[in-house]
Amino acid sequence: MKKMWTVLRREYLSRVKTKGFVIGTILLPLFMLAIFILPTLFMFLKSDKPKQIAVIDLTGMVFDSLFVTLSDTNQAGQRLYNFVKHQIAAEDLEATKERLRAAVNQKGLDGFIVIPANIFEDGTAEYQAKSVSNFRENEAIRDAINRVVTDTRIRRSGLDTETIRQMVRRIKFTTKRVTPEGKEEKDEGFTFAIAYFLGFFIYMSMFIYGAIVMRSVIEEKTSRVVESVVSSVKPFQLMAGKIFGVGAVGLTQFLIWAIVMGLLSLYGLQVVGLFAPKMAGAQNIDLPSVSLGVLGFFVIFFVLGYFLYSTLYAGIGAMVNSDQEAQQLLIPVSLFIVVPILLMTYIIGNPSSQTAVILSLVPFFAPIIMLARIVVEMPPLWQIVVCLAIMVVTILGLIWIVGRIYRVGVLMYGKRPTLPEIIKWIKYA
Amino acid sequence: MQILELENVAKSFGKLEAVKDLSLAVPPGTMYGFLGPNGAGKTTTIRMIMEIILPDHGEILINGQPNTSREILDRVGYLPEERGVYRKMKVREALEFFAELKGMKKRDYAPQINVWLERFEMTEVQNKKMEELSKGNQQKVQFLTTVLHAPDLIILDEPFMGLDPLNANLVKDVMLEQKARGASIVFSTHQMDAAEKLCDAICLINKGQKVLDGELKSIKRNFGRNNVILAYDGKSDFLKNNELVERCDDYGNYVEVHLRDGVNPQALLAAAMQQAEISRFEVVEPSLHEIFIATVKEN
Repeated sequence: MKKMWTVLRREYLSRVKTKGFVIGTILLPLFMLAIFILPTLFMFLKSDKPKQIAVIDLTGMVFDSLFVTLSDTNQAGQRLYNFVKHQIAAEDLEATKERLRAAVNQKGLDGFIVIPANIFEDGTAEYQAKSVSNFRENEAIRDAINRVVTDTRIRRSGLDTETIRQMVRRIKFTTKRVTPEGKEEKDEGFTFAIAYFLGFFIYMSMFIYGAIVMRSVIEEKTSRVVESVVSSVKPFQLMAGKIFGVGAVGLTQFLIWAIVMGLLSLYGLQVVGLFAPKMAGAQNIDLPSVSLGVLGFFVIFFVLGYFLYSTLYAGIGAMVNSDQEAQQLLIPVSLFIVVPILLMTYIIGNPSSQTAVILSLVPFFAPIIMLARIVVEMPPLWQIVVCLAIMVVTILGLIWIVGRIYRVGVLMYGKRPTLPEIIKWIKYA
Repeated sequence: MQILELENVAKSFGKLEAVKDLSLAVPPGTMYGFLGPNGAGKTTTIRMIMEIILPDHGEILINGQPNTSREILDRVGYLPEERGVYRKMKVREALEFFAELKGMKKRDYAPQINVWLERFEMTEVQNKKMEELSKGNQQKVQFLTTVLHAPDLIILDEPFMGLDPLNANLVKDVMLEQKARGASIVFSTHQMDAAEKLCDAICLINKGQKVLDGELKSIKRNFGRNNVILAYDGKSDFLKNNELVERCDDYGNYVEVHLRDGVNPQALLAAAMQQAEISRFEVVEPSLHEIFIATVKEN
């Protein structure tokens, strides 16, 4: 026990004292924030450059209204969409389109819109441009044409546009979550975000800390120092000390982040709040509150997940001679970590479906999937208990197997062992 | 009671029998040479003594107790054949780490480390990272970790390998000091002259089996006094006389001859004088080098 402690302390101190630790502690949260916030932010950022868009209006009636309706400007006050009217005869349509496509490719023009003569009946308006992947832009153009065409239809039928608009306006709709305590809770998609965020956090941690454990094993092996060490401490104690030591590094990082977050919220500098108004256009958004219960489960699943994966990583480290050699063996392990993230959207949408229940009981998926279920909709207690029991049993089994691989593997230099050889190690170690 | 005892120890790796039914005993306070050609099973045996690999069967006792507890092994110092250090660790930190792994308390190891660093002229580099040290200095640090905790038994796998003469001498001196302190030392080596000068007793193994062991003095005595050293100038046809010479180790103008049983050394001298000028003729004990080659070849 005391020797394991000595190993643990060395692993811990030799990592916490490095620049890498300081940098990682600062960079990881920034990186996570970037991953979550930047894509959304970019999507909502308006492109500043005005666009030249030709409009072939075969009806002859839409262009003027469209020009008025879609008159958004950028910060400099320029129109975002500079529509240019192309009055042509229906027979020339294909030739004109051809010409405009050429103009688009020669950069002068950003795109063109075709409004067919039968747009008021059931015609299809068309937007061609170099890029049509900005769905907000597409939506803006569609909505504007739609509005112009609808208004014209209403006017033609002799009704009052304003009255009709009042009649067909959308109802208001809000969602609230029922908490396990039976209270209502405002939920503007934050449950989704929390489940995703926590899942992603575990996902990244498994990769990062697992790799640290693995590299630590490989380093002792390649530097040959391991033989001196295992002559003084049992290989199993060495492995355990390593896993606990790196785990303690992880928890230290968490603690630092937790304290920083606490300080930030105390001083009102809510990081999410800084970005949220821009995203939703609302001024006051309740910050997502994570209940203590969820936080407790997060720690439990993080710790269990860490033990599960770091044991696997330690085993791989014991089998190989270099990082490069490890890559191949890492593929299945990485898959185990990636799959739950891919399934996340489905799980959050259907937290109590049979598939979700079964997946959340698979020990390798549980840290992410069961946690997501707990965040979204508290599953029955028995499922959580069974899940934790399966995880603990799996971890103990893995430690037993990997301990044996480790014992033989750390002294095997040279060729990477084959599967039958590894099975032999497990049997005879 | 012996400090180290192996009883019918065997280890196979697949089809390869690395060590077959090996028994040996090292009395306390002995400098014990563990000799054998490459691939004889020396390192495998040493690793089994340190419980790094487990024997297929047989028993290993240290101070009369099985080596299966690390507390027993805490009283042993071990220098592996494959040298290695924590490259990012500082010299002093590494020494402290290994001292603690051997169960020492800080108040015990701190002064010890100072003494040893001084003795090895490394006090100035104690706060340098291992990777900044020369290969020789790294080896010295690793050697330090094997003697730092004043073990009862010191096991050194090729202790002189890769050391310059100066450092080899330092290691040799420390080995002798440790023996004087009462420790027992088991070391493997290919350097027969070093083993010959240092060892009280040896064990020679070949192909995983013991072929010779015991006190060096009695081994030499049993090997007979029919060994002759000749320094000559001229033809060497007399060495091919099978009636006189059983085997010889010829260096051109210096030769070590092992005579056939019952041959009078004077007969060889007479034969040699007819063909060459003899500047030296001496009847000697066989060298360990010779015993090694003869025994291994015979096997």
